[in-house]
Amino acid sequence: MVFGRIDRPIIFWEDGSSIIDESVTKLKRILEGKPETAFVTEQYMKNYTTIYDMCTQKPPENYSDQLYNKFRGIFEEYAKQTVLPSIMEKHDEYMLREFSQRWDINKIMVKWLSHFFFYLDRFYTARANLPNLNKAGMTCFRDHVYESIHFNAKQVIIALIHKEREDQQIDRALLKNVLDLFVQNGMESMDRYENDFEKFFLEETTSYYSRKASSWIQADTCPEYMIKAEESLKKEKERVTHYLHSDTEPKLIKGVQDVLLVSVAKDLLEMEDSGCSALLRDDKTDDLARMYRLYHAIPKGLEPVSEAFRLHVTSEGNTLIRQAEDKATNNNVVEQDVIRRIIDLHHKYMVYVTECFQNHTLFYKALKQAFEIFCNKKVAGISSAELLAMFCDNFFKKSLNDKSNDESTIESTIENVVKLLDYISDKDHFAEFYRKKLARRLLLDRNFNDEHERTILTKLKAQFGGQFTSKMEGMLTDMQLAKEHHSGFDTYIGNSGKPKGMDFTVTVLTTGFWPSYKTSDLNLPLEMVSCIESFKAYYETKTKHRKLMLIYSLGNCHLNGRFDSKPIELIVSTYQAAVLCAFNNTERLTYQELLEQLNLGHEDLARVLHSLSCSKYKILNKEPATKTISKTDSFEFNSKFTDKLRRIRVPLPPIDDRRRVVEDVDNDRRYAIDACLVRIMKSRKVFSHQQLVSECIEQLSRMFKPDIKVIKKRIEDLIGREFLERDTENPNTYKYVA
Amino acid sequence: MHKLNRTNRDKVQQFVAITGASEKNALQTLKATDWQLEAAFDVFYSQPQPRSNADMRRLEELYNRYKDKYSDMILADGISVLCSDLQVEPQDIVTLVLSWHMNAATACEFSKEEFVGGLQALGVDSIKKLQEKLSFMRSELKDEQKFHEIYNFSFGWAKEKGQKSLALDTAIGMWQLLFAEREWPLLNHWCDFLQDRHNKAISKDTWEQLLEFARTVEPALSNYDAEGAWPYLIDEFVEYLYDKSVVEK
Repeated sequence: MVFGRIDRPIIFWEDGSSIIDESVTKLKRILEGKPETAFVTEQYMKNYTTIYDMCTQKPPENYSDQLYNKFRGIFEEYAKQTVLPSIMEKHDEYMLREFSQRWDINKIMVKWLSHFFFYLDRFYTARANLPNLNKAGMTCFRDHVYESIHFNAKQVIIALIHKEREDQQIDRALLKNVLDLFVQNGMESMDRYENDFEKFFLEETTSYYSRKASSWIQADTCPEYMIKAEESLKKEKERVTHYLHSDTEPKLIKGVQDVLLVSVAKDLLEMEDSGCSALLRDDKTDDLARMYRLYHAIPKGLEPVSEAFRLHVTSEGNTLIRQAEDKATNNNVVEQDVIRRIIDLHHKYMVYVTECFQNHTLFYKALKQAFEIFCNKKVAGISSAELLAMFCDNFFKKSLNDKSNDESTIESTIENVVKLLDYISDKDHFAEFYRKKLARRLLLDRNFNDEHERTILTKLKAQFGGQFTSKMEGMLTDMQLAKEHHSGFDTYIGNSGKPKGMDFTVTVLTTGFWPSYKTSDLNLPLEMVSCIESFKAYYETKTKHRKLMLIYSLGNCHLNGRFDSKPIELIVSTYQAAVLCAFNNTERLTYQELLEQLNLGHEDLARVLHSLSCSKYKILNKEPATKTISKTDSFEFNSKFTDKLRRIRVPLPPIDDRRRVVEDVDNDRRYAIDACLVRIMKSRKVFSHQQLVSECIEQLSRMFKPDIKVIKKRIEDLIGREFLERDTENPNTYKYVA
Repeated sequence: MHKLNRTNRDKVQQFVAITGASEKNALQTLKATDWQLEAAFDVFYSQPQPRSNADMRRLEELYNRYKDKYSDMILADGISVLCSDLQVEPQDIVTLVLSWHMNAATACEFSKEEFVGGLQALGVDSIKKLQEKLSFMRSELKDEQKFHEIYNFSFGWAKEKGQKSLALDTAIGMWQLLFAEREWPLLNHWCDFLQDRHNKAISKDTWEQLLEFARTVEPALSNYDAEGAWPYLIDEFVEYLYDKSVVEK
């Protein structure tokens, strides 16, 4: 179908052309702001139909080609004759303004003329494979105006930006328009903007901030510099929103960071008296937070900061340890204060990690590494594992008496203990010391808070596994069961009809849960023997096939001391009671006599006698009255003894078994290493030496840090016992012997 | 023999003349190789010398010469006689090589089986022949592989019956004997170290690994790998060498 009007006259080129020219002139005048009437609809229509006709007429009066060229020609001529000169005769900001305005005009002109010439776009441009009218118009501007102007424009823009950086006011809207112009002149791509402007802009930015950095770093302290750097980055970001294209932002920020932060990093962070270490030392959390913010975005930027953090925390920790050592050598007593102070240190720097350093893993790691270093140091020969166990012991004992400790304090102290334990490598030492002290608390102190004890065990179990706490949990369970036995026994005694005799309770301990204790064949005073027998009989009724082993060293006795001035109740251990009861029948006994009568060992007897005759309470008189017990001493009941209290506890200090604990644990470690090695080899069958050693260390690391030499010795032992053998070809490899 | 044709009979005779084997053996071998003389020679020489009754008797006589009066073993006295017959000192290392050939279980005694078996393995049945073999046996010590076997063997041989480890003095004596054949510059330091610092018996693993150490590690310890699988005693030896400034770290 052919659209057209029937019987219309042919429009010849010259006529059509001049109609168009007329309109174009009118349009130009309108756009340039010259006095001119607006287009009315008829004029508009006339233009449109003229062109329409000229395009639809049959050849040779089909003027599509010429019309297209004319369209282009209009713009080209305008650009060359009018637009370009008008821009070029101006300078600086005025030039930019003209450039921007001419661009706007061009856009409108293209729009209008495209309407007039619309029909060309309908079929012609596509068929002839030519750019459409809009494109053609724009291209003309680009080729004949933009290309000649952009260089100068760029210079002006950059100069203006520089002005703004120096805190002077500039016309941001203008810049935005001009930069938009750059973008749009790239047609579909950003390459005009990038190559004609952005590239130069970024270079200029870099050198600008480079100069700033050099001068700041000379004159300013680290915090001051950082504030300026932060401010600069902020301003540059704002600049993007005001007039730069958003694509520029990442490149711009990176460029500024590189110059302000990366290249000066060493000088900045290590600045004397105000750099990273100084800020840490002086607790300048705000500045540190800023440092984090600034360096966070830079790849590997935080590493020097976290390193400084680690070193600082390590040195603080080492100082604590040293102070404790010094105090200990002066006082001869190691304060558990040090544990409390380590906990506080941990808390302090954890706050740093969560707040200044936004929970970043690098800083968690640094904190951990720092603590692992000084938490494994000894203080006056006592390992931190033992100190921590002592701390727990004291804490639990105190919390019973001191009701001011509310639940949340107790809870948080327990949590802190568990956190601290994580840093200690010899966890098995802690477990053993803790267990020993727990035993004393449960058995000797009697008054223990089951709930608190269970809470800490639950947390330890959650953190370190069931195997860590199973024995201790067993101990607590035993105490619960013991209560049942107490009442059961009482009923039994009641039912048996025998006279009650003395008040007597037995606590049954499951071997294996509790630390191992020496037994001794103490000769009990007669009064006590029958009690023991009746309990044994009772226990037989409850469970058969179990052997009861009596551990007198852990027992407690309440004795009535009939002294001259007044009777006093004495709370003593069973050993002490046995010694004292011996004086019920005789006034005076020698050391030797006591030794034979009671069947105690020398070490124990000496300890007991010392506690009764040379310590705070002199229940017995010793001859000669020296400060130490010798085998030739003799003893007498001190009837003259008295005290203002009606009931006193005569303590029997425990033997220092620290060395034994360490030995026991080391022995256990040998078994653990053996078991681990065999387990690994059983599954791997063939394994190289290095791999075996490192996997063994890895598996055991939850409990302790095995010594490589010890592992080697165990491997050799296993070879000797024919669990493993060396590979004949390669002695560095082991094979499992089934 | 009569059933054979002339050619084959000749072959048998030739075979016997060259190898010294019995006719019966010659017949067997030639039959097995389809009467190919060359192949028969190959077979014959690659086989161990088969027992023959004559050999056995001579070996038994020899054994009886040295056997102890009261037990069915050759003991220390018998060994002294053997050594003097062979004209070697009892401490001569060649006796160790001989024991190795015999696969002797313990030093200073040979069971009948060990004695007889060892001599057969060497292919000798008289003292004279054994004496002739002595230089060959000495040369075996120069062979890398054989020395290794002899060295490892000597641990089990030198230790007390029923013990797992080798007494230190014995071990040192053995090392000095063995390493006289193969220079090891650190030998004296090793012995000093053991007497100074260790003073306990030597385990099998340590014994075996020491040879490896002597073979592979430079006297200057430049290629010693501290992370390697060396027994801890050897690691301690290295520490000792550094301590005593025998070697620069």
